[in-house]
Amino acid sequence: MAQLQLANLRKSFGQVQVIKGLDLAISDGEFVVFVGPSGCGKSTTLRMIAGLEDATSGTILLDGGDLTRARPADRSIAMVFQSYALFPHMTVADNIGFGLQLKGTDRATITARVAEVAGTLHLAPLLARYPRELSGGQRQRVAIGRAIIRNPKVFLFDEPLSNLDAALRVQMRLEIARLHQRLRATMVYVTHDQVEAMTLANRIVVFNDGRIEQVGTPMDLYERPANRFVAGFIGAPSMNFLPVRTNGSLIDWPGIAPLALPAGKAQVVELGIRPEHLVAVEEADADIAGDIEIIERLGAETYAYVRVAGQPADLTLRLPGETGHRPGSRIGLKLDWSRAHWFDADGRVL
Amino acid sequence: MEQHNRFWRIALLGLPLGLFGLFVVWPLFSSFYYSFTDWNGFDTNYSFVGFDNFAKIATDRLFLQAAINTTIWMAAAIILPTTLGLMLALLLDSRVAGARVFKSIFYLPICLSAVIVGQIWTWIYQPDWGLLNTIISQITGEKFKYAWLAKPDTALWSVIVAWSWQQTGLAMVIYLAGLTAIPGDLLEVCEIEGASPWQRFRRVVLPLLAPSTVVVVALSVINSLKGFDILYIMTGGGPFNSSDTLAMHMYNESFKKYLMGYGSAISVVLFLIALAIIGLYFRQLRKVDRIYG
Ligand SMILES: Nc1ncnc2c1ncn2[C@@H]1O[C@H](COP(=O)(O)OP(=O)(O)OP(=O)(O)O)[C@@H](O)[C@H]1O
Ligand SMILES: [Mg+2]
Repeated sequence: MAQLQLANLRKSFGQVQVIKGLDLAISDGEFVVFVGPSGCGKSTTLRMIAGLEDATSGTILLDGGDLTRARPADRSIAMVFQSYALFPHMTVADNIGFGLQLKGTDRATITARVAEVAGTLHLAPLLARYPRELSGGQRQRVAIGRAIIRNPKVFLFDEPLSNLDAALRVQMRLEIARLHQRLRATMVYVTHDQVEAMTLANRIVVFNDGRIEQVGTPMDLYERPANRFVAGFIGAPSMNFLPVRTNGSLIDWPGIAPLALPAGKAQVVELGIRPEHLVAVEEADADIAGDIEIIERLGAETYAYVRVAGQPADLTLRLPGETGHRPGSRIGLKLDWSRAHWFDADGRVL
Repeated sequence: MEQHNRFWRIALLGLPLGLFGLFVVWPLFSSFYYSFTDWNGFDTNYSFVGFDNFAKIATDRLFLQAAINTTIWMAAAIILPTTLGLMLALLLDSRVAGARVFKSIFYLPICLSAVIVGQIWTWIYQPDWGLLNTIISQITGEKFKYAWLAKPDTALWSVIVAWSWQQTGLAMVIYLAGLTAIPGDLLEVCEIEGASPWQRFRRVVLPLLAPSTVVVVALSVINSLKGFDILYIMTGGGPFNSSDTLAMHMYNESFKKYLMGYGSAISVVLFLIALAIIGLYFRQLRKVDRIYG
């Protein structure tokens, strides 16, 4: 059992409050991913859970027990750092067995446990090496090995894969997913990578400026963002935002014929639509039309950036990999109105 | 262009190499040469005596005394400043109040020349009005008179204390730099894994300071081998050769007894000892290199 609960957690550095009251319940075996812009307090929150940073106020509960003031070592929590934080003067085996050695576990037991952990992480042939003789991915596996050997209740990961190249990142992402399936442990994972967040998370927590904007499953956040911030943050390429003016019961929108306003959306000032919910059509059938500025081909799909008169920003549009559209050509766009997001002046979804 | 470059390369390399040859290589080889003679240092008439000088070393009671003293001197001059410097660095690194002031104070002595340090400590050890005896008198309440530098039992150790006082600051500064270079997340791993302060020091901090230790020990070895001036100032090797080191012995034999040939033989032995120490040191260095690159 490892149920983690944060209640009204706050943290100030000097006069500056960086964590402004967090409430979050993480259930046993859950994989929770923290995302948010740089400096929003993800690492600080993680470090408070680990006990590396003292909470200014609020509580951290693990299975009901208060560990807000507990020493890091007494929390049954393991942390994997972005920098791997391996001891350069110890072999892989000693790095993994470090915690057991400190406790004075007997040599035979340590050797056996290290071998077991190394086996599951494909590190067995590397046990005698020093960290600087390993690749980035191997180093990160050693760091994970050091974490799992202690059977902690909660795993904390702070951007563990961001120092790896793209291919290795995909591979390690799968390994972490496998690890979670196998251990069924509670994991809290910080990342900047949308794909990591979407694929690994049971639930994603979106941070902004020391507060939680929204918590939900990946598809929840993707399909039903609570506000403009989450809508813009989740999804790559990000959602298109189109300012609108309402004219009584009609949307008054430069470039297109006035539209009837759906019920309950009277306060709308901005419309959000994801790139895949814009459909390329003949200009005659289009809601809006514009000129293609740039085409980005990714192979399986293509992104088109479309300049529309009266819109402050280009609209992004997702097209199939093989597309006849060319930069400079005219394109008509139809909105999938059922997938549109309506925001009021405060950025809240209507 | 090519010609021009070559000229400068040779010229710029030539000057330091020339000076090195003149002041290091040439005296080295002439020492080897004179060690097989009975030259007195100024006479143009001298004869070759084969290995006589080296045979004499084997039976020279003063040489043995000096060799023992040198061993004590070097061991103490390496171990004391290194450990004291490390302790000070650990203390001052943990953000005690006024750490910056203390750092400067402890570093100050290294800016003084050995001659001045020797003079300061000679005053401190002065039997009648020296600081040390005055303090002891104050504490015990009765007049304390002890000639620290004039007693065979304490002369060498008194100089070692003075020497360590000067050298500790250097070790401290190097260790302080080493401590700041230890990545913070490694210390955080210690916290999470539950290392005690001693375990953290013994298993993580000390090994990670190995590159600093290499530098500190190297400087201590070099400085202590050169540590002739402070002994010369404070005791001159006395009393009764109780603080004689090999360097001091060599100087006395060569320039006081005018046995330049014998002095050269001692210097040759000293050179070979230094070579052996450096050899051991480089082997150690390679180990450190494998880990820290
Ligand atoms: N030790 C500290 N002293 C003062 N301010 C700090 C300290 N650590 C973090 N901060 C501040 O707290 C805020 C949150 O930092 P934190 O490292 O948690 O951000 P983050 O979300 O992890 O960002 P990133 O995505 O860039 O890693 C930042 O504004 C940062 O400047
Ligand atoms: Mg961070």
